[in-house]
Amino acid sequence: MATIVVLVILAILAISAVGVYNRIISLENRFQNAWSQIDVQLKRRVDLIPNLVETVKGYAAHEKTVFEEVARSRQALMSAKDVNESAQAANQMTSALGRLFAIAENYPELKANENFKMLQEELSGVENKIAYARQFYNDAVLQYNNAIETVPGVFMAGPMNKKQAVFLEIPEAEREVPKVSFAG
Amino acid sequence: MTVPGAGVLPDVITDRATGRRINLLDWQASNRRLSWLLGLVMVALLGAIGYLLAQVTNPASAVFFVAAAGAVGAGQTVIAYWFSDQLALGAAGARPATKDEYRYLVNVTEAVAIGAGVPTPHIYVIDSPAPNAFATGRDPQHASIAVTRGLVDMLERQELEGVVAHEMAHVRNYDIRFLSMLAATVGAIVILRDLVLRWFQFGALGGRGRRSGGDRGGNRGQGIMGILLLVLLVLGPILATMLRLAVSRRREFLADATGAYITRNPEGLARALEKLAAYQGEGLQVSEGVRHMFIVNPLAKHNAVDLFATHPPIQERIDRLKRM
Repeated sequence: MATIVVLVILAILAISAVGVYNRIISLENRFQNAWSQIDVQLKRRVDLIPNLVETVKGYAAHEKTVFEEVARSRQALMSAKDVNESAQAANQMTSALGRLFAIAENYPELKANENFKMLQEELSGVENKIAYARQFYNDAVLQYNNAIETVPGVFMAGPMNKKQAVFLEIPEAEREVPKVSFAG
Repeated sequence: MTVPGAGVLPDVITDRATGRRINLLDWQASNRRLSWLLGLVMVALLGAIGYLLAQVTNPASAVFFVAAAGAVGAGQTVIAYWFSDQLALGAAGARPATKDEYRYLVNVTEAVAIGAGVPTPHIYVIDSPAPNAFATGRDPQHASIAVTRGLVDMLERQELEGVVAHEMAHVRNYDIRFLSMLAATVGAIVILRDLVLRWFQFGALGGRGRRSGGDRGGNRGQGIMGILLLVLLVLGPILATMLRLAVSRRREFLADATGAYITRNPEGLARALEKLAAYQGEGLQVSEGVRHMFIVNPLAKHNAVDLFATHPPIQERIDRLKRM
């Protein structure tokens, strides 16, 4: 009788452990996949830049400082080695592009150029996607961290060698964070 | 707990108006359960109709009638599950939006999909100046969003994001599937009702008269069953429609809240709704069957409260968003 009880308890424990294990792994995959989403958009932005710079040079060749700034940030992004370096270079690029578009305001013919308009929309689109991808990444990290810090995940996190993931800092200027609280 | 730009637990939102916490995962699960339950109720209802129909006409063929009623129901459900998106897009006159033509719309939709953590839905455009939008599809993997040309022209980026996020919320919460299954139930009962009414008209119930001479008690029983049958057939669709509309009004609020959560920007959707409410131009001509799907009712004077309204008053939605 006692053996049966022990066996049943062991079976229940084993099944719960599998469930917790799977949940931690799937949340880990989710936030890592969320990172690759950001990466895809950052690469897309890097690819758009040569075309943009060529187009702007056609109208405003003498604005050398801003072209250099854009080129530097592009170089930094392409040689970034980890999440943080890449995030930093991406922020640098965002502000360089912001300056480039501010300068474009002074050239009405450039602003009327179809190719420029297309690139401008594409780049705003990519900026936006980067912002959303970061938001989703942070959401996913939060869920993952909660899962490995709370019961029952906390009992598995040690043996599974899972550590807290790091949130991305989002520059205030880039994405206005509204005062919203959806949950307590 | 606060995290830079991350908001809080993605699957729980608080409805500020009622103070209730809504767990979206629970909501989705309850939507799926309700869909199944609805399917069962529908099978039972159609079985009952088939059985009563057999009792009234020819009890020996009960199996045939029950099977026929079941087949109508099953057919409707299969159509609703697999083809309701194509039917709705067709009825609304929507065509696929290409990236070259609608770069802005496509970029906005892709961005919101990333934020919501769902695959980018198929994007359609309706060629109308009236600003409006709807979503369809049985799950996030098979979702389509259709917006009018007027909406794209009228809204700024954050506003368009709000509308697209509202539509994605419907898909993510499995509202579309639930409502199209419900519509299928109504459709199946209506088909049976029309068949029976036509049948009565053509006097196909003559067989009852011939048999009635021998068995008076059976005849009275048949009379009661006949009345029961008519009640089911006439009241069924009306009750199901009212249920659908009540559910649909609640889900608009929830989709607003979820949309605001996805964009972290209730202001954007609130401003978009204000613009949609203020629109005075040419209306959007779509058939009655798809009207309830749109973000704002294509026809409504946007303030009436009535039992058959598919949407809550738009001003109340704006107020709730502004309180978030």
